[in-house]
Amino acid sequence: MDDLKHYLEYILTPSTPVFVVGALIVLLVPILVHFYISSATPYTNLPSILLIGPPGAGKTSLLTLLERGDNAVPTHTSQITQSVELTVSTDGGIQSFRDAARDDAPGSHKKFMLVDTPGHGKLRESAMAKINANDPLKGVVFVLDASALDENLQATANYLFDVLLALQKRMGVGKTSKAPHAVHLLLAANKADLFTALPASLVKSNLEAELGRIRQSRSKGLKASGVAVGEMDDEDNEDWLGEYGAEKFAFSQMREFDVEVDVVGGSVLEGKVDKWWDWISERV
Amino acid sequence: MLDTFEILTTSGVVVWSRSYAAVSPSIVNSFITDVFIEEKGAIAGAKDDQPTASNPPYRADQHTLKWTFSKELGVIFVAVYRSLLHLSWIDKLVDNLKTIFVDLYGDQLKKPNTTLVHCHKFDEYFDQQVRQLESSAAVKGSQPSAAALVSDDEAVSGNLGDEPPLPPGLKHRSIAQNGAQELPSTTESTPVVTPSNSRPSTPGTSHLVVGKGGPMAKMSRRARKMQNTSAPASSGDEGPARKAKKAPKKGRKWNADGYASEEDDVQLDYSAAANAATSESEAEGRSTAMESIDSSTWGTKTSKGQFVLKDLDDEVNDILASAQAKSTGSSSSGGLVNSGFSTISGLFRNVVGGKTLTKEDLRKPMDGMKEHLIKKNVAPEAAVRLRDSVEHELIGLKTGSFESIDARIAKAMEASLTKMLTPTSSLDLLREVDAVTRPSTFSSVKPRPYVISVVGVNGVGKSTNLSKICFFLLENKYKVLVVAGDTFRSGAVEQLKVHVRNLKELTQREGGKVELFEKGYGGDAATVARDAVRTASNEGFDVVLIDTAGRRHNDQRLMSNLEKFAKFANPDKILMVGEALVGNDSVAQAQNFNASFGQGRTLDGFIISKCDTVGDMVGTIVSIVHATNVPVLFVGVGQHYEDIRSFSVKWAVKKLLSNN
Repeated sequence: MDDLKHYLEYILTPSTPVFVVGALIVLLVPILVHFYISSATPYTNLPSILLIGPPGAGKTSLLTLLERGDNAVPTHTSQITQSVELTVSTDGGIQSFRDAARDDAPGSHKKFMLVDTPGHGKLRESAMAKINANDPLKGVVFVLDASALDENLQATANYLFDVLLALQKRMGVGKTSKAPHAVHLLLAANKADLFTALPASLVKSNLEAELGRIRQSRSKGLKASGVAVGEMDDEDNEDWLGEYGAEKFAFSQMREFDVEVDVVGGSVLEGKVDKWWDWISERV
Repeated sequence: MLDTFEILTTSGVVVWSRSYAAVSPSIVNSFITDVFIEEKGAIAGAKDDQPTASNPPYRADQHTLKWTFSKELGVIFVAVYRSLLHLSWIDKLVDNLKTIFVDLYGDQLKKPNTTLVHCHKFDEYFDQQVRQLESSAAVKGSQPSAAALVSDDEAVSGNLGDEPPLPPGLKHRSIAQNGAQELPSTTESTPVVTPSNSRPSTPGTSHLVVGKGGPMAKMSRRARKMQNTSAPASSGDEGPARKAKKAPKKGRKWNADGYASEEDDVQLDYSAAANAATSESEAEGRSTAMESIDSSTWGTKTSKGQFVLKDLDDEVNDILASAQAKSTGSSSSGGLVNSGFSTISGLFRNVVGGKTLTKEDLRKPMDGMKEHLIKKNVAPEAAVRLRDSVEHELIGLKTGSFESIDARIAKAMEASLTKMLTPTSSLDLLREVDAVTRPSTFSSVKPRPYVISVVGVNGVGKSTNLSKICFFLLENKYKVLVVAGDTFRSGAVEQLKVHVRNLKELTQREGGKVELFEKGYGGDAATVARDAVRTASNEGFDVVLIDTAGRRHNDQRLMSNLEKFAKFANPDKILMVGEALVGNDSVAQAQNFNASFGQGRTLDGFIISKCDTVGDMVGTIVSIVHATNVPVLFVGVGQHYEDIRSFSVKWAVKKLLSNN
């Protein structure tokens, strides 16, 4: 009992060792806790590439192809997002995704996450949330079906419009003075192996024309419920995709918001996705 | 014969598949879309880990899909076969394969950030299972009528409804009991033949019995079980099969009343035997695992020419037996010390997070959530469905760090509501009108007017909302023809006349054009509508808006007119106006109107009027979407022509979850 009393007295008496130890505890504990927590949650800081697009375009197929390296497995409609950890070569040692998929690929590598999202209309919320999330998002690959673009043009363009608008808004809402890093978009025109597939240039022009029409009709459309009257006038500017007031929409207008849009054709089934892979490697 | 068996993850990757005949991938895709994503029909609870027989089979394009789902691993097991075939062993096959697959490859599936699952060896297991079940089905195949008869029974007992689903172990036992009761009757009435005789030399032919669609194709689990237990007995003729139907029925009655109540004296001579067997069947229910091993080893011996690796067989049976034993024994709870410790750690984790949610944890907050939704004017059945689906989603999940259960539930409910209310394809009315009235020069489609009609019960604001849409279209410089389809209520035509006059004045400077088409009172609304559409296409109108008479949704006489109307006018969009003020009637209204347009035609959307009068109580929106799966397109928020808004899911979810 006396020991305890003595001990307490010592601690409560101001003296140099007590101050030093106290200061050390105060300084070190938060730092240690931080390291403990950050080490407990891995995979948060890997750069990520988002696969997005209408259903049936071949997002999951592409994912499996890039992961396996040899060929894609059959897939069905996705219900959840699925991330896969992939590597790209950093020293130019290997070029093709086929080599990168091997475990014993030579050279040094950088890991990144390829995130597949469901394309179904009801489940797009999660994909859109990923764009706005604070992940180190490096790029978005919008996979579309080039062989059935005629029938699906409106649906595809609608989704693309939402994605582009989200990317555009993302650039606008930086809380700090530091601008958020640029996120570029690749339009992957899939299914080039099919006879009816459109070439990339035609895909681009068709989509640009359709996006222009959507932009026009959205600006004239009804206000969304919950938006009070009068609040809308200054928001007009925000919901306008690309250069405000421009007659026609072109993907080049997105440069204003640091969003580069490339259109590249390819085919998952035939394994002709090297150009897409190059694009992804560049972003990562 | 089975066409395809597939094992796929919820992320869409086919992990393993075996195909005997080419099946279009669109069948499985539409199955996933309908059952899992859009949750069509009342199968919200079907996403649980229940056996195949309890999941309603999905039919599409002459194929039937039997499926089961492992929620923990996110794996779906689907068997596809021609609807014409009557494959009694499919349920068992799907269940067994699920058990085996989960046991063998569960660890691989749990790995994050990969879609790779190495399961090449699963081929052998699959073959073994198919052979085994096929050969055992060959015996049962000669008893298809029994299966069909009992399947009605199962349909009743399977949908016990509001009760929480029994743990699989319990269910299993009671079913085994019924099956066992049936056993003595069969043995009694028909002489026992040696098993080797009863087994046909060519297994796999006798299951090709042509089913009559509905109940035939749905092979009940009980029937299967029953046949399983009666397998040693000879294949009976019609006599025992008919009796077999009675036996389980009686058995259930006893279960409900207790064994003492013996007064149902319609007893046949075998009742005493069956009664005695009940106690026996308890033991039998427990030892089904043992029995299945026995019969299978015995099966491989007798069937010649089908050489099955013995060790594989044993392994499979081990897996199945252990899984069964686990499910039977799972009901027993841990000791006192154990539960005390788990309570303390549960309390701790409740604050810190990382708690694994159980049904008990969720019950109270989930009921609270249900009450909250009902207070927001959500119909009780919709609230219950939402509660159940969120509960299914959450059981077994871990809360995040420093996340309370309530917060987790609110998050899941928000996701659930968003998913429910988000339409499958978004509607851009102006784009659609453009596509129809000014088709691109490449396509061969001829330009025609775009036809919209509104329906609904009396006094919900059909004409008012029609005028609002008309105003919106006029602002966008369309030529609109308004049709007075209400030829019934006095004053209806005059009301529209006033609206059109006002709209004309309002939009003169905008450049739109609006006319009224009316044929007075007493005429047939469908004919008026058809004439109006014809006139509109002749005179170059862009949009035709058809008003209809308000009708009570439960008045068959009035509702039957709608089918003719839909056929004659053939509107591009049939919108139903429902008011936000209405209470629980909204579900019935929506359902009746949705079903009234005849085959292949449903509502295309809802307009919810009078939203400004209810504040946060916008539960009607959830009720009607729950009832019909038809999206809400517009909401009316005031008395003026411009007070119509396109529906925003975020807005609705926010209002529904707000606390005041």
